[in-house]
Parts: sequence; structure tokens; C-alpha cells
Amino acid sequence: MPPQQSQFAARRTPRPASQVAVLWWLGDTVGAVLFAGCLAAFIASWTAGGLPTQGWCLLAGIGISGMLRAGAQALAGLAGQKAATHAKSALRVRVMTALLPSGQMRGRLIGEDLRVAIDDVEAHEGLIARFQPLRRAAMLSPLIIAAAVAIASWFSALILLATLIPFGAGMALAGLAGKAEADRQFLALSRLSGLFVDRVAALPVILAFGAEDRVTRQIGGAAREVAGRTMQVLRIAFVSSAMLEFFAALSVALVAVYCGFSLLGLLPFPAPEDLSLGEAFFALALAPEFYLGMRRLAAAYHDKQQGQAAERSVANALDQARLLAVQARAVPRNRVCQLRAEGLTIRYADDNCIGPVSACWQGPGLHVVAGPTGAGKSSLLHALIALAPVSAGRIILDDTPVAASALPALTGWAGQRPLLLPGTLADNLRLGGNYLGPQELARLTDASGLTALIAARGEDLTIDPRGSGLSGGERRRIGLVRAIASGRPLLLLDEPTADLDPETAAKVIALLQDTARTRLVIAATHDPALIACAKSRMVMP
Amino acid sequence: MIERLLRDATRRQRRSTAIAIGLAMVAALAGVALLALSGWFLTGAALAGAGGVASVRAFNYLLPSAGIRGLAIARTLSRYGERLFGHRAALFALADLRPALFARLAASDPSLSLARSSGDMAARLGSDVDALEDSVVRKVTVPGALAGAVAGLIAASLAGWPAALTLLAGLATMRLSSRMLTARLLAQPRQEHAAALNRLKADYASYAACSGEIAVYGLGTQVIVALEPHTRALDTARGALARGEVMLQGVQLVLAALTVAGVLALADGGAALVALAALAAAATTENWSTLARTDMERLRVRDAITRLESIAMLPARQTDAALPFVGGGIAVTIDGQFHAVPPGGRLLIAGPSGSGKSRLLDTLIGLRGDAPEGLAVDGQDVRALGLAGLRPLFAYAPQDAGLIAGTVADNLRLARPGITEPEMWTALETACLAETVRDLPEGLAQWLGDNGARLSGGQRKRLALARALLADKPWLVLDEPSEGLDPDTERALCQRLSAWLDQTGTGLVLVSHRSGLHALARQVVRLLPVSGGRG
Repeated sequence: MPPQQSQFAARRTPRPASQVAVLWWLGDTVGAVLFAGCLAAFIASWTAGGLPTQGWCLLAGIGISGMLRAGAQALAGLAGQKAATHAKSALRVRVMTALLPSGQMRGRLIGEDLRVAIDDVEAHEGLIARFQPLRRAAMLSPLIIAAAVAIASWFSALILLATLIPFGAGMALAGLAGKAEADRQFLALSRLSGLFVDRVAALPVILAFGAEDRVTRQIGGAAREVAGRTMQVLRIAFVSSAMLEFFAALSVALVAVYCGFSLLGLLPFPAPEDLSLGEAFFALALAPEFYLGMRRLAAAYHDKQQGQAAERSVANALDQARLLAVQARAVPRNRVCQLRAEGLTIRYADDNCIGPVSACWQGPGLHVVAGPTGAGKSSLLHALIALAPVSAGRIILDDTPVAASALPALTGWAGQRPLLLPGTLADNLRLGGNYLGPQELARLTDASGLTALIAARGEDLTIDPRGSGLSGGERRRIGLVRAIASGRPLLLLDEPTADLDPETAAKVIALLQDTARTRLVIAATHDPALIACAKSRMVMP
Repeated sequence: MIERLLRDATRRQRRSTAIAIGLAMVAALAGVALLALSGWFLTGAALAGAGGVASVRAFNYLLPSAGIRGLAIARTLSRYGERLFGHRAALFALADLRPALFARLAASDPSLSLARSSGDMAARLGSDVDALEDSVVRKVTVPGALAGAVAGLIAASLAGWPAALTLLAGLATMRLSSRMLTARLLAQPRQEHAAALNRLKADYASYAACSGEIAVYGLGTQVIVALEPHTRALDTARGALARGEVMLQGVQLVLAALTVAGVLALADGGAALVALAALAAAATTENWSTLARTDMERLRVRDAITRLESIAMLPARQTDAALPFVGGGIAVTIDGQFHAVPPGGRLLIAGPSGSGKSRLLDTLIGLRGDAPEGLAVDGQDVRALGLAGLRPLFAYAPQDAGLIAGTVADNLRLARPGITEPEMWTALETACLAETVRDLPEGLAQWLGDNGARLSGGQRKRLALARALLADKPWLVLDEPSEGLDPDTERALCQRLSAWLDQTGTGLVLVSHRSGLHALARQVVRLLPVSGGRG
């Protein structure tokens, strides 16, 4: 895999949409300038004597500035949303492509994958739609405001810009202190805050031991401790926002005092410029806007935190999937004469260990793997096609040692729960490959006893992902016919006759025997009837 | 119910809430006053400056300029304090709400509370309780915005009552429009969003269960295509929500600008007061528009409350006092066949997977009631005894181990109050886990689970077994205790467990498909497989 793909890039958004969002946020700043201009002109002409004649135009300008700002903010929001939607769909495809085939292999619960592929992808939204455009806008909007103020009063603009220096230094210090405190509390917080959720999940055991009063007290204590520790972190974290507030207020106060004293002619230093009321008022009305972009950014802080946590979790899952998904391209072949496992040992992430298993399966022919539930029959079949973590041993195909990842391309697989995609029955039967004509497919469905299903529900019966209206046995046979119809030379079948009544099971066994005349078929099974007609029988302990 | 719990919890934070409200009001007042005073000062200064030296002398500039600096500092400090106390109130109120909710959940009938997927419910309880934070914070935002409004109205009234009335009308319109539009614009997309998310998750879960076929036939892309209608519906709903939100905020902004223009048009009493009124109106409307955010959050809070309500309203189980245990045995009736297990007896429950062995155990100990088998203890039907009557009799080690996030000792202490360390080591010894725990960096105090030591599946089960041994109950109920064990350890476990049972006279109910532990049993009942064609 090329190295650049190993870097997780959620920000691979179509540039235009997120840049458009930045531009609209800057458009909002322009609206603020228009508002301040109209207001200043209005007040200035008031001093010249009563309601000015051009006053109505200026009032209309204020109204228009409101609409401009509303429109700009709305469009900024929508452009951000669009960027987020693009980024999310791209990410979703990437995550699902990586997670869907490797779920078995990673040994993760479906719920965990579900959280990564859906919830964590959704959690990127605030980061991309709001935080990222706002961050870029927050760097530019103070400069635009300062430039506009400079037109009226360059000294006021200088005052505004000068406040940035202590502000930046203070923010850096507060940020460092906040991070240090957050790091100090991190372990305790992450352990304690999961406690409530954990104890709800462990409720059966808590009830069985009658421990609910003790656990309730413990949860109460832990919840209060979380609140206390969180407050310790917040006390410092809020210093940053207080700093922001302080400099926002300070910049207004400084501009107001400077302009006032300048208008009075009472500045304690030589007046750097000659100010009119209009200019002074314009500078004052714009002063609160100078820090507005940063205040908006601070308000989107939660979006950033959530998004970055999701980024980490998605990156973890993708890395895990990538480590396991080393698919070697197999040379397609239409015969498998012999498949051997030598000392194959499977070790799952939770240390559950199966094997070592050694076996030799001669093709063509029907072979079974028997043994009690939980002995590892399914795991062995999974290991043969690189869907279970093999820690030792090797697989030998026609006298050549091969990686397990070479076998999937040769294998027709029917698991415990076949995949059902929305579509017709025929579509679903052909998911393994589209090599059979309608007649041959009909012969297979007939031989597997699915004809009754078609007779009852019609040729084009449509299927939904949960297989509503299909019995367990019917679902299994769909998977089986699919595996046979794939035309692949090796068939791995997990309990092909489970959930079937004896009559149908007999039909399926006959079909398997027929198929095994040309292919190597290995089935994990409990069924004595199937075991009886196998060429070899291997028993897992 | 949940509203009452929340009210109780917030009432205990009255002091912090009151301080936060006070500070929020001060901050809003200071914010409005800062801008208003600045505008008045500037205009007054200009007029005085234009009037010549005498009027400059007459203009009191010291008070306003000191006032401006004072207000700037007051606004900063009060805002900081408001945040601090507001969050303190919210965090501690929710900290009280969590145990209260847990207590209700634990006191409800287990067949109801445990019927839901526990992981899902736990996650929802976590995030839904978090969502309530806003309902506490709102108690602070609303008075703050009101105080700002009052300050703005007073400032505007200095420029005449028409200006003040205009501001009042503007503020009222902003609230009305926000309240009306929120429900109209956001309620439906919210529902559609939730529905699309559920459909997407349900279908993804069905597909993810078939990872074998997806890998072998390379069907990933086809599955993603099959999910596309749901993802598209999800994105559409998110888009509609975003449109609604920007529309709401846009309306607030336009109304705010029109209000300021109206105040300016109708203000009177000299340029300085007009400036004061205009900037006060601008600051007030900006402050006021933050209330629209709480309107949007209110929908989220309401959804969370509805979901939590279904948990808070679970009927409490009967808490009839535990019946005195007279030392009788267990009776199991399967398909009319009666099996009696005497006190101290050892029963193996066999049967293929899916035949309901775990369900039988759960019913025996009172966690559910739906096993089809007849089950009686001391001659009484277990369903009549209930959890309160049954749990004094059974010590349970479930199939999934059921460990809690905590230390090894935390897990063992769950069994009963007052367990000593030597007792823990004895139990770990019997469960063949003492050596493993001794090798952990922090021994009994070792944190297990996330960012702690990871035990293997087999080790987790033996820890659950040790916990059950510590519970001191007349019967030990074990569900697949030796899964994931190598044969040697399994043999040792079998011997030690047998000796422990002999020594303590404890009875055993065992489910195990592995033959290694079958030697422990003196009686066997066999469950029949569920007949085929379950569809």
C-alpha cells in the first residue's frame, strides 16, 4: 500500500466548499463594516442638527447590513455543511470499505464497528462545517476590521492590533496550563466518566450479587469526583475565554477612551491624527467586531474536540484493518487438487487459542470437519481464507505453501449467516459471480429445494437485508447456492445442513455430493447424515 | 419522573445556580452599559470639543472614562464567574442525577430492564444525561439575557419612550419568531435524521455480520451501494437541519438590525443620547439572539428526556423480603420429565448451542422469567420467588464474565460486602488465577479494561468464577467457566473446584460444552435442540 494512504486525511474535502465558507464568513465582517459606517454617519449628522435629511438612506443601510450579515452567515453555514457532507461521504466509503470485509478478522464486536463507521464519521461534521472555516476566518477578519478602522483612525487600528500581542501571549500560556491540567486529570477522568455506562452494562451481575446499593453509592461518588476534577480543568480552561473576553472589552474601552480624549483635545501626548466624530464613532462601533471571529471560534471548540476524538478513533480502526488486509492476488485457477493445513494455530486478540490443527484434504471430494460447538470449526474455515488471525502453521495448496490471503479468490464461501442485499432472489444468488445462465441457476435452486420458496413468492421475489419472510434454512441455502454458483474450485461451508428438516437436508447433501465430483468441498458440520457421506472426517477436539 | 429527578438534582445546586445567574446578569448589564456609555462619551466629547475650551472644561470626562474601564473589567470577571458557577451547577446536578437514575434502573423488574440491549442502553444513558446539561445551563442564560434586555430598555428610554418601545417590540418579535420557527423548521428534520440513522445502523449491522462473504466475493462496494439510500437520507436530513438553523439565526440578525435602525429613527434628546440608545440597542439585540440557540437545544433536551423517561418509568420490582432458606433442593422439569437436585448436588445442563441453556440459568437466578422449563427451589416456582427470593441462594458466573471496569479487587468485592484480601487470594487460587494476578504490575489493585491490563477471555472467566466463589451462597451457577482454557489448566481447575465444593458443601449448576469439567457433575439434564426452520 502506498505510504501516503497510511496517513489519515479527513480534511480531503473538496477545497471549494470549505473556502467558500471562509469567504462568506469574511462577507459577514464586511456587513459589520457597513453597519458601523451607516451608524457613525447617522450619529455624526445628528450632531450637525436634528435628524439628517439623508438619514433614511443611512437607516436603510443599517437594515441592509443586517440582511447582508444574515445572508453571509447563512451561506457560510450552508457552504460548511456542504463541505462536511462531501467529506463525510468520502470518509464513510473509506471506513466501510476497510471495516466491512475485515470485521471477523479483527474480532471486534459489530457494535464497535457500527460506532466507528457511522457515529464517528458523523462526529466529523462540526469540525469540518464550522471549526475549520471559522479558524481561517478568525485569522483574517481581525485584519479586515483593523484595515477598515485604519481608514477612519489609523491610531485606533494600531491600538486594536497592539492588544493582539498580550492576547496571544496570554492565550498561549493559558492554553499550556490548561493542557497540563487536562493531561494531569486525563486518566482519572476517562476512567471515572466511563463508570456509569460500564455499570449499566454490568447490571445483570450487579443484580445477581445484590450489589446495587453499593454500586449506586460508588457511581454517586465517582460522578461527583468527575464533576470536581472537570471543574479543576475548566477553571483553567475558562481563563482562555476570559482572556478573550477581557481583550475584547479592553479593545472597546481603549478605543472609546482614546477617541473621546482625542475629540476633547485632552490627549496626554501629541495628537497623532485629527478625528471627527464620524470617524471616531466608526472606530468605536467596529471595535467589538475585532475579536468576534475568535469568539466564534472559541464557541466552536466543542465541535473541534468531538471531531478530533472521532478522527483518532477512525484512524485507529483504519490502521487496524489495514494491518490485517494484506490481500495477495491469487493466480486464478479452476482446480484445487490438494489443500493441507500444517500446525495451523489461531490466536484471537482476547488470547483465545485454537489449534494447532493439521489436515489434508484431497480434491475433488467432500470432506467434513466435526467436533463440539466452540471447538473451533468455524475458526478453522475462517483461518483458511485469512479471516482469522493465524499465529503459527502454514497452508499448502497443491504442494506449494501459500499465504491464507491467496485463498479467498479461489473460494466459494457459505457462512452461518449469508449476506442478503436488497434485490431479487436471482441477484442475490449471483453475488458470488455471474457465471451461470438462467437454466443452470434454476437447476441449482431446484436441487437445493428453494423451488418451493419461488413457487410461493414468485420468480422476482425481492429480498431485504434482514431477510424478512425467509426462514433460517432458506437463508442458508441462498448462501450455499451462491457459493456453488460462484464457480470457484474450493468450497468452504459452515454447517450447510443446519436449520433444515431431514427431507431438505437430504436434498442439500445430494447437491453437495454432486458438486464434490468436480470440486474440493470442506464443510464444518454436526450432521451425522452429512458426515456419513464424506470422503474424510476430521474431528476438532 | 425524570423531570422530578432532574429538579431534585438541580435544587441541590441552588447556591451555585443563583451565583451564576447573578453573575450572568452583571455580565449582560456590563456588556450593554459598556457600549452605551462609550457611545455617549464619544459623542459628548465631540460636542464638547466642538464647543471650545469652556465646554471641554465643563465636560466631566473622568467619570465616564473610568466607568468604561471599570465596565470592561466587570464584564470579563463576571463572565468568567458565570461560566464557572454555571458549569459547577450543571456538572454536580448531573452527577446527582446519574446515581438516581441507576438506582431506579436497578430497582426495576430485571425481566424488563435487562430485556433491552445493555450496551446500547448504557451508551444512551450516558449521552442522554449529558444532553440534559443544557437544560441546567439555560436556567442561567435566560436571566442573563433578560437583565441585558432591561439594561437596554433603560438606556433606550433615555432617548425617549418611542425608542424604548421600538426596542421592546424588536426583542419581543425576535423571541416570538425564534419560538415559532424552531418547531416548524427543525422538528421534522430532527425526526427524519433520527429515523435515517436508525435504518442505516440496522442495515449496517446486518451486513457487517456477513464479513466472510463480503471478503471472499469482494462485495464491499455493493454493500456500500446498498446502504446509499440510507446515507443519502441521513445527509439530506442533516442538510435540512443546517438550513433550518441558519434560517433561524438569519431571522434573528435581520430583526436585530431593523430594531437598531428603528431605535435610531425614533430616538430623541440630543446626539449623545441617540448614540447611547443605538449602541445599547445593538448590544442588547446581540445578547438576546443567543436565546435562539437555547430554543434549538430545547428540542435535543426534550428528545433526551423522552428516552430517559422510558427508563425512569420502569415499574419497580416487588421487594418482598427474602424468604428464609430451608435448605431444599432444585427441581428442573423438562418436557414433563422431573429432575430433583438435592442441596449440595451437582447438576450439568447439556444441550446444543441455541437450546436455551443460558436462558435457563438466568431464569433460575431470577434475572429473567422466560425459560420454558419448569424450575423450582424448595418446592416453589422460581418465578414466584423473584430476584429478591433467589439471589441469596445463587452465586453466578455468567458466560460473558460480566466484569466491571475497575481493579481486580473491585471486581471481587462485588460478590458481597466485607471481603478481605486473604479471602480474595484463596478464591483466586481455587479459580487457578492467583499466579496471573500476582504477575500483574499492581496485583489486586490492577485496573482492568480500557487503558489498563487486558485479561484474556479465559482469564476473565476465571476472575468471574473467583468472584462467585467469594459470594458465600448455597449454590454456584457457572456458565461455560472453562472456555478458552488449555487442557492442563482445565484439569487443575476441575480438581480444585471439586475439592472446594466438597469442603464447603456448596451445590453446583454447570453449563459447559467442554468435557473437561463434566467430571464435576453428578447429574445431567439435557436440553433439546430447537427444531429447524426458525425463520
